[in-house]
Amino acid sequence: MMQNDHNPAAAARTVLLMSGIVKDFSGTRALDEVDFDVRRGEVHALIGENGAGKSTLMNVLAGRFSDYRGQIIFDGRPVRITSPRQALKMGIAVIYQELRVLGNLSVAENIMLGDERSHPWTKRLDRTFIRDQALRTIEYLGFDLDPDQSVGQLSTARQCMVEIAGAVRRKVKLLVFDEPTASLGGEDVERLFQVIKDLRAKGLGIVYISHRLGELPRVGDRVTVLRDGRKVGTRRISDCPVSEMSRMMLGHVLSEVFPEKTNRPGKCILKVRGLSRKGRFEDISFDLHEGEVLGIAGLLGSGRSEIARAIFGADRSVGLVEFQGRAMARRTPGRSCRNGIGMVPENRKLQGNIPARSVGENLNISILDRLAGRLGYQSPGRLADHARSMVERMKVQPPRLQTLVRNLSGGNQQKVIVGRWLAANPKVLIFDEPTQGIDIGTKAQIYKLIVKLAEEGRGIILISSELIEVGKLADRILVIRNGRLAKEIKGPLMDRDIEMLFEACVREVEHG
Amino acid sequence: MSKGQKERRAIMSGALSFSRLQRVSVLSLLVILGAYTSYRSPTFLTWGNLVDNLLTNAAALGIMAAGMTFVMIGGGFDLSVASITAVCSVVLVLCMDALSSFGPVVAIPVSVLLTALVGIALGSVNGILIAHIGVNPFVVTLSTMLVFRGIALILTGGGQAKQVADLALRNQFNWIYDARIPLFGRSYQVSMPIVIFVVVLVVGIYLLRFTRFGHYIYAIGGNEEAARLAGVSTRRIKAATYALCGFTCALAAVIFVAYTATAQAESHQGKELDVIASVIVGGTPLGGGSGGLLATLTGLILLQVIQNLLTQLSVGPEYRPVITGLIIVVVVTIDVLARRRSSR
Repeated sequence: MMQNDHNPAAAARTVLLMSGIVKDFSGTRALDEVDFDVRRGEVHALIGENGAGKSTLMNVLAGRFSDYRGQIIFDGRPVRITSPRQALKMGIAVIYQELRVLGNLSVAENIMLGDERSHPWTKRLDRTFIRDQALRTIEYLGFDLDPDQSVGQLSTARQCMVEIAGAVRRKVKLLVFDEPTASLGGEDVERLFQVIKDLRAKGLGIVYISHRLGELPRVGDRVTVLRDGRKVGTRRISDCPVSEMSRMMLGHVLSEVFPEKTNRPGKCILKVRGLSRKGRFEDISFDLHEGEVLGIAGLLGSGRSEIARAIFGADRSVGLVEFQGRAMARRTPGRSCRNGIGMVPENRKLQGNIPARSVGENLNISILDRLAGRLGYQSPGRLADHARSMVERMKVQPPRLQTLVRNLSGGNQQKVIVGRWLAANPKVLIFDEPTQGIDIGTKAQIYKLIVKLAEEGRGIILISSELIEVGKLADRILVIRNGRLAKEIKGPLMDRDIEMLFEACVREVEHG
Repeated sequence: MSKGQKERRAIMSGALSFSRLQRVSVLSLLVILGAYTSYRSPTFLTWGNLVDNLLTNAAALGIMAAGMTFVMIGGGFDLSVASITAVCSVVLVLCMDALSSFGPVVAIPVSVLLTALVGIALGSVNGILIAHIGVNPFVVTLSTMLVFRGIALILTGGGQAKQVADLALRNQFNWIYDARIPLFGRSYQVSMPIVIFVVVLVVGIYLLRFTRFGHYIYAIGGNEEAARLAGVSTRRIKAATYALCGFTCALAAVIFVAYTATAQAESHQGKELDVIASVIVGGTPLGGGSGGLLATLTGLILLQVIQNLLTQLSVGPEYRPVITGLIIVVVVTIDVLARRRSSR
């Protein structure tokens, strides 16, 4: 199973060697004798389902825990990493999915944060120093960044570059990327991959965590798979096809993940004509039919999510939306919900759930008007019965109503949001990035559900950055480019046509 | 981590949630302080002191805190409650005075009703500015705190104490404060303010726990955008919490006027801080999303008991703000530390 080559040359190039790492959380084992190593000038991918132990392993490395067992050799010296400060000082930096840049400061100020210099007497901040030093780092990395620009105005990919520059400036030897592409669009992903390759060429060790197995051959050298806190194996990515990786992660193959399409589109249920929102999208027209899965594909920032939000009434927009032959003017989320339109929003944490409330409350929130008795009485028994049936239907783990949603894994949080909308029984349901950052098991469950909902005669709108999802599940695909409807493609697509869909999404950007 | 492990962690954190932990710490503090004081001062642990004196005096403040709890669970904040109470007191007295010729049967109900409407209207001003227009609650209620206080001053012609001229009417209105309802014979009676407070608590708990309105308030405090996208009319619900808070201020004003028989524009200053302190010490966090009326009740009683026992122990008044402030900091710090530990 193990294919670690143990020749001396490789050992000399090793920047990090973790062996036999064990970490317990209050009596339960999150990491069980895990070995992991990274060489200089290597991108080592780390994959596994949610809860497999990837984050825990990286948190050990980043000094978040002081009570792990096992040995870590970093840069040739045995170390015990007990604080984030120490990890950073030694030369280990983690770029988290949620970036930690300060939007109100400039690029240079962000890069130099913590290393400012001021005049010895007047304590006046030496801005030239900050700018010069930052510029040197930017030039060293060959980044296309303006040191004086405010970080808040930058795209996510560029903000990520700012954070990388900050880490490189601290002379890191090992850089960990925790799902960096989860919030990036196609063009930005390419830019980030180029940056990672450049960093590798400069001799940094890089750990790359991702759920998108398809992108690994383009960026990684080796891959280590974790499952249930144990290491399954380490492979060269060039020798390990994606199907093999997913088999290692789960024990079954990726193509099994997409269900058979059994839905049949019927008559028109939602008619959109000339929908526009200033600066976001313009003149969008399409029909959605009963029993149809309509995919909307486009790069991040193309306006695809904004269109969905406008239909649902989350944002204001102009244009006609006709639902079951009735024009819906002055759309609000509340009205849409009562009429039978639902939306699983893009950002689970900020828009989807109420983290500090229980699973039961989160499941029931959209249908309390239906559950109310006399005097608006909400019978706790009836609420619990209803929530319990949804927990069972969505297979939420743990199947307890009192658990606070913030204590659930990402996949289970998403199940709660989807379950909430199933309960509301909408005729049109919009899924905006329904599988972002969730494990393959839950993904498969959501795919199956999408097809089943369509089979029941509902209209489904599916938006996703993972084009393979849109390609495999949608009956028709609308391609949005720069806020305009660029193309309509008939689905479902074969594997080889996914590349074509990607082309359709980016074309305008490249030429414009 | 396996699913089983996650499950176990989730169950543990559910069993000892933060607010419950804070309530435990508040309650145990109460018991310890109570035990110490009753040892030092035999009059402390008597019905006359605890119920007749302490709880009756605290009832009006508690009613305001009940309204504030709704606002704060929804993630809001209201600095203007004392000013609203002042305006309501003045309106109540002026109105009763004007209607005194119609006799108490007309004057009292009409005046109380009008006062309630004024309270709701002033609360709605906050609610509309905060929920519908989207101005920060701190800024809005800081401004309305000044504006409403000014209105009270204007209504009293620059701050003179107003009194109902008709002595008979005044005495009849005092019944709202003075009436005692026997609970177990003559020695165990409860006062009208306590009765009103209990009714407010019961209705409030019903609203919060067993109605859609209450569920929505928790949802909004937990994540306003998520609640909106789940189809909740977040603006209307938020505005309603401020209106409700205004209403409870009007109720409190009725009790205050019944007690003092006068209304002063400059009365109740600083009460907004006592009210907010009770809610926070009880366990409803700034930012909302959790908490409740029983929590607020324990917070209120803790702060009142401390005041009471400082009196019993004859601690000088100059030390009292220090002690109260320290208690607030300690209780909230315990909560923060507990949160940090469990989020690890």
